[in-house]
Amino acid sequence: MHKWRIRILVIGLLGIVIFTLRTHMTADVYQQQGYVFGTLVDISIEAENKQQAAKLSNHIFRDFQQLHQQLHAWKPDSQGKPSELGLLNAAFTQGKSALMVSSQLAEIVVDAQTLSKQSHGLFNPAIGHLISTWGFHQDSFDAVSVDHQKIKTLVNARPSMDDIVVDGQNVYSINPQVKLDFGGYAKGYALDKAGRYLRERGVTNALINIGGNILAIGQHGNKPWRVGIQHPRQPGAIATLDLDDGWAIGTSGDYQRYFMLGDQRYCHIIDPRNGYPVQHTQAVTVLIPPQHNAGVLSDVASKPIFIAAPLDKPRAAIDMGVTYFMAIDADGNVLMAKPMADKLKWLAPTFEKQHHVRIIQSH
Amino acid sequence: MSASFKAIKKLANLVLTSMRIGDWFILLAASVGIGILFQSLWSTTHAAKLQIRMGDHVHALYDLNIARDVHIHGALGDAIIQIADGKARFAKSPCHNQYCVHQGWLSRTGQAAICLPNQISLELIGEHKPFDTLNY
Repeated sequence: MHKWRIRILVIGLLGIVIFTLRTHMTADVYQQQGYVFGTLVDISIEAENKQQAAKLSNHIFRDFQQLHQQLHAWKPDSQGKPSELGLLNAAFTQGKSALMVSSQLAEIVVDAQTLSKQSHGLFNPAIGHLISTWGFHQDSFDAVSVDHQKIKTLVNARPSMDDIVVDGQNVYSINPQVKLDFGGYAKGYALDKAGRYLRERGVTNALINIGGNILAIGQHGNKPWRVGIQHPRQPGAIATLDLDDGWAIGTSGDYQRYFMLGDQRYCHIIDPRNGYPVQHTQAVTVLIPPQHNAGVLSDVASKPIFIAAPLDKPRAAIDMGVTYFMAIDADGNVLMAKPMADKLKWLAPTFEKQHHVRIIQSH
Repeated sequence: MSASFKAIKKLANLVLTSMRIGDWFILLAASVGIGILFQSLWSTTHAAKLQIRMGDHVHALYDLNIARDVHIHGALGDAIIQIADGKARFAKSPCHNQYCVHQGWLSRTGQAAICLPNQISLELIGEHKPFDTLNY
C-alpha cells in the first residue's frame, strides 16, 4: 500500500478545488444606483440578507434626497418652496436680521468656515453669485457671454465665509454679496453621514460613490475595494488604487461641468481671487485616510489644490493636510505626491508613457 | 464489501503501486495545467456585454458582438445607443450639453458613460472588471 501517495493525491486535489472556489467566490453585494445631488449615486453593500441591504440603501437614498433639497443653491423644492439654503441666501441679500436655521445647516456653515480659512479662501462656498453669473446655477447651462464688468464687481465685493456670523442656530452675513453654494461640500458631507449610518447598522463591507466621491467601508470579499480614476479627456480609467477601510477619494475635474466658447473651456471651478474658471488644470484627485470627516475632505480638499497655480499646488495640499494627491495640468502632465504614486497602479500603460509624470517627495 | 468495490480497490492499488516517479510528475503537471486553463479560459470566454441603466434600475444587457441601435426613452427624452464591433456609445441624446455623446466609444471592461440629465448610464461588463467603482 502506498497510503502516502493517496494522501498526496487527495490533498493536491482538495488544494485545487479550494483555490478555484476561493478565486471564483465573490461575496454577495447588493448594489443600488440613483440620481441625487445632480449626479449618479452608487451604493454597494455586502450582505447575507439582500432585503436588509436594500432597506439600508433606500434609507440612505431618502436621506440624500432630503439633504439635496435642503442644500440646493438655486432650486426650490417640488412644492415651489425655496430650500433652507435658499432662504438663508435670501436673508443674506436682504441683509436684515439673523435667520434661525437647522442645527445641521449651522454645523455645515461653521465647518465650511474652518475649511475655507484653512485653504486661505481658495475653498470658498460664499461665491454663489459668481457661479451663478457663469451660468452654472442651471441644470442645463449655455455658453454664457462673459460679463467681465459684473465679475469684477462681484470679486471686489469679496464675499467670504468670514462674513458669516453663526450664533448657535442663528446665522447672518455682514456682507450682502455672500451667497452660499455647497456644491463642493454637500457630497462629501453625505458620504460621511451614510458611512456612519451603515457602520451603526453593523454593516462591515460597503462602498458609497456620490458622483465620483467615494468612501470605503471594509472590503470587497477578501480584497480591498478597488477604485478606477477617470481619464480627464477620454472614456475609461487611467489608473486604479485600493481604497482600504475608512478611506475616501475625490476628484475635481474640468470635465464634469463646463462649456466651450471657441476653443476655450470654461469649467465650474472658479478661482475666487479673480472670478474666472480655472484653466491651468484638468483634474486633481485626493486620497484621504480614515478620519471622522474623510468624506468632506475628499470633496473639499481637491478644490484649493485645483485652483492653486501649478507651482503652488504642493503648498495648497499641505494647507489642507493632504498627503496623497495627483494633479493633471492643462497639457495632461501629471504631478503626484510620492505616497500617492506608491498607491497608484497605471491601467493604460500608454498614459504613463505619453504623459510626463513628476513625483514630488513628501514634506 | 461488495465485489465491485473490491475490484476497484484492487485496480487502484495496482495503478498506484505500478506508477513511477515520472507518472507522478505527469499527473502533477496535468493537474496544474487544468487549474491554469480553468483560470484563464473559464473566466474570459464570456463576451463583454453592455449594461444600460435607466434611473435606478438596470434597463437591459446587450451582447457587444451584435451590432444594433438601441432606442431608449430616458427622463428627458429619446436617446440612441449604438453597439458595433464590440464597442458602444451614445449616438444621440436629448440632453443640452451632450457630454455623453462627446464621451465617444467605450470598448474596455469597466468603461462607463453617464448622461446625468437623461438619467441613462452605460457600462461595459466583462468577467475581469479592473475596479469596483469609478472616481471622477
